[in-house]
This record gives sequence, structure tokens and C-alpha cells, in this order.
Amino acid sequence: MSIKRTVYPFCAIVGQDNMKKALILNVINPALGGVLIRGEKGTAKSTAVRALAHLLPEMNQVADCIFGCDPLDKSSMCESCLTRTKNGEALPVVAKKMQVVELPVSATEDRVVGTLDIEHAIKKGEKKFEPGILARANRNILYVDEVNLLDDHVVDVLLDAAAMGVNNIEREGVSYSHPAKFILVGTMNPEEGDLRPQLLDRFGLAVDVRAESDTEQRIEVVKRRLEYEANPAEFASQYNKQQAELAARILQAKQKLNQVKFGERILELAARISIEIGVDGHRADINMIKTALTMAAFAGRSEVVPADVLEAAALVLPHRMRRRPFEESILEFSKVEEIVKEYEERSIA
Amino acid sequence: MPREYVFPFSAIVGQDRVKKALILNAVNPGIGGVLISGEKGTAKSTMVRGLSKLLPGMEVVDLPLNITEDRLIGTIDLEKAISTGKKFFEPGILAKAHKNILYVDEVNLLSEHIVNSLLDVAQSGVNIVEREGISYAHKAQFVLVGTMNPEEGMLRPQFLDRFGLYVEVKGEGDIEERKRVISRRIEYERSPEEFIRQYQKEEAGLAQRICTARNVLELVEVTHDIIKIAADIAKQANCQGHRADLVLVETARAIAALEGRKNITIKDLKEAAELALPHRTRPQPPQNTEVPEETKEEESTREEQERQEEENRQEQEEEDGLPPQEETRQRDNAHNGNEPEEQSEPFPDKIEEKKKEAPFQEDRIDEPGEIFSVKPIQIQPFERKDREGSGKRSKTKTSSRQGRYIRYRIPSDKVTDLAFDATLRAAALFQKKREKNALAMAIEKSDLREKVREKRIGNTLLFVVDASGSMGANQRMRSTKAAILSLLNDAYQKRDMVGLVAFRKNSAEVMLGITRSVDLASKNLRELPTGGKTPLAAGLFLGYEILKARQVKDPDMVPVLILVSDCRANVALHAGDPVEEAKELGRILRYEGINALVIDTEKDFIELGLAKEIAEAMGAKYYKLNQLEAFEIEGVVRNYLGT
Repeated sequence: MSIKRTVYPFCAIVGQDNMKKALILNVINPALGGVLIRGEKGTAKSTAVRALAHLLPEMNQVADCIFGCDPLDKSSMCESCLTRTKNGEALPVVAKKMQVVELPVSATEDRVVGTLDIEHAIKKGEKKFEPGILARANRNILYVDEVNLLDDHVVDVLLDAAAMGVNNIEREGVSYSHPAKFILVGTMNPEEGDLRPQLLDRFGLAVDVRAESDTEQRIEVVKRRLEYEANPAEFASQYNKQQAELAARILQAKQKLNQVKFGERILELAARISIEIGVDGHRADINMIKTALTMAAFAGRSEVVPADVLEAAALVLPHRMRRRPFEESILEFSKVEEIVKEYEERSIA
Repeated sequence: MPREYVFPFSAIVGQDRVKKALILNAVNPGIGGVLISGEKGTAKSTMVRGLSKLLPGMEVVDLPLNITEDRLIGTIDLEKAISTGKKFFEPGILAKAHKNILYVDEVNLLSEHIVNSLLDVAQSGVNIVEREGISYAHKAQFVLVGTMNPEEGMLRPQFLDRFGLYVEVKGEGDIEERKRVISRRIEYERSPEEFIRQYQKEEAGLAQRICTARNVLELVEVTHDIIKIAADIAKQANCQGHRADLVLVETARAIAALEGRKNITIKDLKEAAELALPHRTRPQPPQNTEVPEETKEEESTREEQERQEEENRQEQEEEDGLPPQEETRQRDNAHNGNEPEEQSEPFPDKIEEKKKEAPFQEDRIDEPGEIFSVKPIQIQPFERKDREGSGKRSKTKTSSRQGRYIRYRIPSDKVTDLAFDATLRAAALFQKKREKNALAMAIEKSDLREKVREKRIGNTLLFVVDASGSMGANQRMRSTKAAILSLLNDAYQKRDMVGLVAFRKNSAEVMLGITRSVDLASKNLRELPTGGKTPLAAGLFLGYEILKARQVKDPDMVPVLILVSDCRANVALHAGDPVEEAKELGRILRYEGINALVIDTEKDFIELGLAKEIAEAMGAKYYKLNQLEAFEIEGVVRNYLGT
């Protein structure tokens, strides 16, 4: 079920480059693990996410599969598609756009994970699984506005699925599991309370958005908004060309991604940054390299350069800083810059 | 969904202890599982999942967090009931887990009633089902494996003890190892099939080793001496019960078997102790001086950590440009004359005098001391009849349609929250005999089941903190702040709401309205200055107003007022005796059903014991500040909220 509404074009959003870049990178490489957008009210957080939908590329999926399985990727297929493949059946393929699936804050656990199809049970006397939001989110973007207000039970379930890429349902007479690999995009206003560290770490990238401080830019924001509201269709059409160009660039980057190379030294750089900054676990390093790879692909390069790592660090580290209880985690980014600089100097020498 | 593609166990870099603990359990299920605790992103789950590919004849059965009781324990088979009209038992996860590994990711987030059912079965090895007209029992012996991130809270001691072994994981500190972690992961993600193939040989070798060790296990001899040493080790580590001894022996057996030996060595037992004791060791009673090596090591690392933290704190202070503690103390002593430290507070009869000098005291901001973790103490909640508003709470618990559906029951009254599944299951049994009137199913009133939901109770902790001049003396505010921060730490894990009121000089002030942001509360607390007189009644009154206002907004919440003060009130809200006035307010709080804790900060040579009197008036639990530091505070709050 989707309500048709004209969407503010992604390219028409003034400024907020970090946020836009983080979203684009995730579209190019869904394995980045999503993005958390933190910021004050009225900073185009939700607008940007909704606008993203129009830039999303098409992808091949099994036509009659509710989970939209990738016909070529056996590692994340649902049971039915896998069985069919093994039996030598040619799966019907259809190209569909990636979607933004919204998870409302009020969603209950059964709607998120799925539940027993009551109607079917009454009519047929058979158990049938009724898929929930996580099923629809497979291979798509799962968007949670105000993610910090989500009910704890739902957060737990979300963590479970996000961690495994699989939704395991063992509830109310139903035992079922299906792939649930999604790009988790959340927005939050930090004033409303914080996110649990565990969930925080699930977001591949994090960006902090602020209102534009430049007067000219602020004027531009208001002007475009007014223009858009006066005539949405007309406004959107002005950006058609820009939007199409960006979409094409995303697609190219997507195709290039697997050929991008990174050297031993780049690996060392990422590991060193993580050790010196003192982050928990290994997710930061791994994500730093993945993000750098994606950045290189987006720039049309086939090799990662130190500047990619630096830029990636800015997106990967802010929410992963180790902190003692209740101390604010402030990323001393100058330290990261120093490490990269030192590295570059050594390379020249 | 079959998990065909998992990151190979042998490809995991480092983490040798966790790998060993898992392998030992695979060799000898009698060890009783392992709990893996550690920070995020340290391959905890990856390791367990990787293990599943190595176990000949054993499976890893997942227990997801969303599990309901019926799927755990087993229930009536709906399909068969409808089609045949007969009762069949449909086994749950526990049946699947028999002779396998039961794996719970984020085990500390599992809901209480699931933990209870699990404990029951883990203990007896038998799952007895008595529900929905089904009476059934089956064996359920499994290796329990859990992973958790301690930031999200700890496990109940009883549950903790169920895990045979305990291992902590950390990220790799070595740069070469870290590089290998990243590159292997990226390689795997780029082409899982190819990557798995590369490790096929290594995986097969490991599987073979486990298999061989299993055969050797039966031949490993457990001598009387070995049992005696194991018992000694467990005794010296001050472990509760006998499970530690048993697990030590079983683990040592597996270690020997893995190395193909038939005899257990002391070294095996030592290695076993490192895995089997950390979560069972209790603090030593003071008279006991002999400590086994492992515990000593642990203690010394803890000391090392504490020292490190102390250093960090000092560095922090220097950076902040605050005067070093020593100077502050000297200034205090000078201010209070040459009395010894213990007596530096004015005597009771000098309160008048203090009142006069108070306004001249300068404001000061104390840094909090070290945060400590806190453990449960029993506390009795108010009796229902004492609390006018209490009826509301239990009512909302059943009638509200929010919350998680945990189980169902036969309704006693009109059904408002129908449990469809349970109702259908109940009706299914009788379909063959009933008149259906063209409907697919005939449901009668006796089939109706309603949902029982577990609802998160709105816990609201309001700290009412004394910030008068007397709190500044003797580093009292330092330990007070540490205690409150420790409570806040727990509130964070329980996701409680918190608020902060401070009283000093002539009035009370809201430092932070009720919020979910514990971070904000701690920030404000850190910056809380002390100085001036003690308007206790004003503090209590403001606290009362805030909690009442909150209750109107959210009738389900349990309000808890935590008063932190020596209660040497010397400013009245209206007129009259300041202490009597505070007591009167305390009685009002009690009458209104506001739960309270009083944390007494009095630390003087002659104690007035006013805080105790006020606690009695409030019907509050009473604690001295130093009792909190003895790791004994958090349970106070938790037990309140759990009831």
C-alpha cells in the first residue's frame, strides 16, 4: 500500500552534503549498513530520505517472491527460491526499483516480524505466515523516523534481524524464517533521548545535520520550499535532468564497485585509525574500508586513495567512539587527519 | 531459512579463548555451554554461527528474541487439530534443541518469562508441557550458548550460573591482526562462495579433530586427585554451589581429550578454571587470604584498571583547570577551623551559627567520584491500601492493548483483547462436532482466550539532591555525585525516565525536567554547584509537584523520589520548624503513593539521624551513602520497579 505523493527532489535540497552523500553511498553499496541522521527539527532529514526513493536504481528480483530475492545470490535466498533453484527451475525475473519501506514508531512487534495469517487459518484450517514489515524491507531501505522513540521490543527485534540478515520468527504458533537484509536509515533528534549503543553500532554511517548558517543558503532553502509548495509538479520537473544524471552516476558506481581495489597500506591506515581513536570492536574498520571503496567507485576511480579513507572515517566513527558512561563522545577528528597526513608523508618519503 | 553461507570458523582472526570454549563444548556437551560477553562488533555471533558448520551430528538452534512461550515449549498442533479434531503435540524450540546447541543472541535482552521457562528446562533436562489440554514431556538436553553486550545490562545470577563457561571478547589491538580481520571480511562479502571454499580444508580438519576428541573423551580418566584439586580451586575462588567443581572437571576432560590424552593434568584444570570460574567467583570474605592464581590475576587487573581510571580522571581535572583535590580540602579545613576532618561539620547546636555563615560560602563544583556498579537489595513496596493511586497501575496492565503479547489466558470477564491464535486453537478441537452454519469455523464462548501482555511500566526516577554548603565539605558531593551517576547508569540500562531537582540557598530548582536522556541528567549533575543553606522542604515540595504532574500525563508510571541529603533542614518553606515541615511533606508523599528512597549523606562525628526520621515519615527505604559505595544500591530501585 502506498500513498502517491509528489516528492521533493533530492537534488533540490540545499546544502546538507554529508547527509546526501551518506545516503547515496548506501544506495551504491547496500552492505554499508545504513545511516543514522541526527539533527535538530526542520533540517530536511525526512525529506532527504523520502526524496532518495526516486534515485533508487532498478534491480533484478524473483518475480513471484514476496521477499524479492536476488535470482543470482544463493547466499541470501529465501527457502522457497533456494529449493526452486536447486531443483533446476528457472526463476522468473523482473526488474524493480528499490523501495523505501517505512517503519512507523507505533508499529507493534507482530507487524514488524510477521505473524499468523488469521483469515487463512479460519478459512482453510492451515497455518500460513503473514509477512511483516521486515519481509518487505528485504533488499530495500528500511526507514525509521525518530528511531530513538521506537519501542524497546521492536528495537530488539530489529537488532536481531539487522545482525543476521535473517528474520527468525518463533511466535504464536508460527515458526518461520526469511531473509531480511535491509539498509537501515534512521533519523533522530538527540534532544529526545539517546539510542542504545547496540543499535547505534548497527548503523554503518552517521551524520549530524544542522540548519544552514549561511544567510544566502537559508534564503535559498525557503525560496525553494515556497516554490515547491506553490506548484510541486512544476518544481520537480526543473530538477529532472539533474536527478537523471545523479541516478546514472549511482548506477555506474554500483557496477564499478566490485572492481575497486585497495592496497595493503590503505588497510593499515584504517586499522591504525581505529586503534588510535579507540573504537569498540571491528565494525568501524571494516566499514571504513567498505565506505572508502564505495567513495572511490562514486568518484569513478578504481583504486582507493587515503583521502577516501579520511572522508569515510568522518562518517563511520562519530557514533562509535568509545566512551565512559555518560561522557559525551566527541570525535577528535584532527587526530584522524594527523594519522592520514603522517601516512601520506611516509608514502612520499 | 537454511543458513548455507556462514563465515567459516577457521577464518576468524584471533579470539582464541572463545573459539576454544566453543570447541570444548562441542567435544563435551556436559560442560553446559558458554556465555560470550563483549563489546559490539567483536565477531561474537559470527563465531557461534561458524561453529554450526563444524559439528558432526549437532545443530545450532536459534532462539530469537521475539519468541513466545508456545514456540519455546511447544503447543497443540493447530492444523492437525482442525483437520482431524484430535490433539497432537507440536514441539517447540526446546524439542529441536535436544542434543544440540541452543543459541541466544543478545541473551541479556530476553524477556523474563522466557528466561524462567528456559531455566526450568535447562535444570532438569526435561521439558514438561501442561497446557491447552496437552500433557506431554520430552527430553531437552542442550548446550546453551549465549552472546551479550554488557552495556545492555547483566544477567540474573541464577541464569548466569547456567552457563558452563564464560569468556569475554575484545577487539584486536594488534595492527596486523586487525588488518587481517578487515581484509577477510571484505573478501568474504565480495564472494562468499569463493571464500568458504578457501577454508574448506581447514574446516574439515577441525571437524575431524572435534570428532576424534569426542571419542577420546570417554576414555579420559577422572582420578580422585583431580576431583579434589577441582574442588579446592572452586572453594578458594569462593564459588557458590557445586556446579563450578563439576564444570571444572568436565572442561578439563574436554581439554585433555582435544589433545588426545587420557589423563588430566593440573595445567588442564588451570585452563579450565579460567573459563569456568570468572562468572562464579564471588568477592572473598575478609578472613580468607588464599586466592587461586586466576582470581589474583583478575584482581590485579581490576586494580590496574582502577588506577588507570583514577589517572584519567586526574588528567581530566587538570585539563578542566580545576584546582587539585588537595588544595580544595585544605581550603575547607581552613574554613572550618582546625577541627579534625571527621568533625569538620558544625555540631548540632551550631546549626544556627552555620545558618549565618552559609550565605557567605562560595559556590563550588565538585567532580563526581568513580562510578560503580550496583547490586540488588530487597525492598518491600508500599502496601496497596496505603496507596490510593495504585489500583490504576495494575488495571492498566491488563486492559491496555499496548505491549508485548506474552501469553494468553481464559478470560474471567468480557474479552477486550482477544488472542485470535489461542482462540482458534481452542476451537479447532471441536470443529468436527459443531454446527458451523456455513462458517469455516464455529467458535463458542468457551473457546475465547484473551491476551496477557507484558507492558513496560513507565519508571520515573526523580532525584532530589541537597546542594547546600554542608554537602561541599569532606568531598561529600564527590561521593554523592558518584552514587547518583551509578544509579543513572542503571537507569540508562533500564531505559527509565529521569529528572533532577536540586535545593540550596533559599529554594529548590529543577535542574532537568523528566526526560529519557540520562546523558543530559548526568551532565547537569556534574555541573551542579554546592553552597548555601538547606531548604529541604522546598526540595521535597518541588519533587512532589513534578511527579504528580507527570502522573497526570502518564498514569501507568511508577514515580520514585530519591532524596539525597543529610536532611539538616534549616530553611522552612512557610514558617515553623524546617525539619518538622519536611516530615510533614514526607507524609504527604507517602499518602500520595510516591515511592521513595532516602540516601543519607550525613558523615559527621555526631550524627543527628534526621534523614532516618524523614525516611520514616516518607515510608522510604533508607541508605547511608557509604552503603551505596559498598555496591549495594541499584537493587533498591530495581526491586521497586520490578514489583
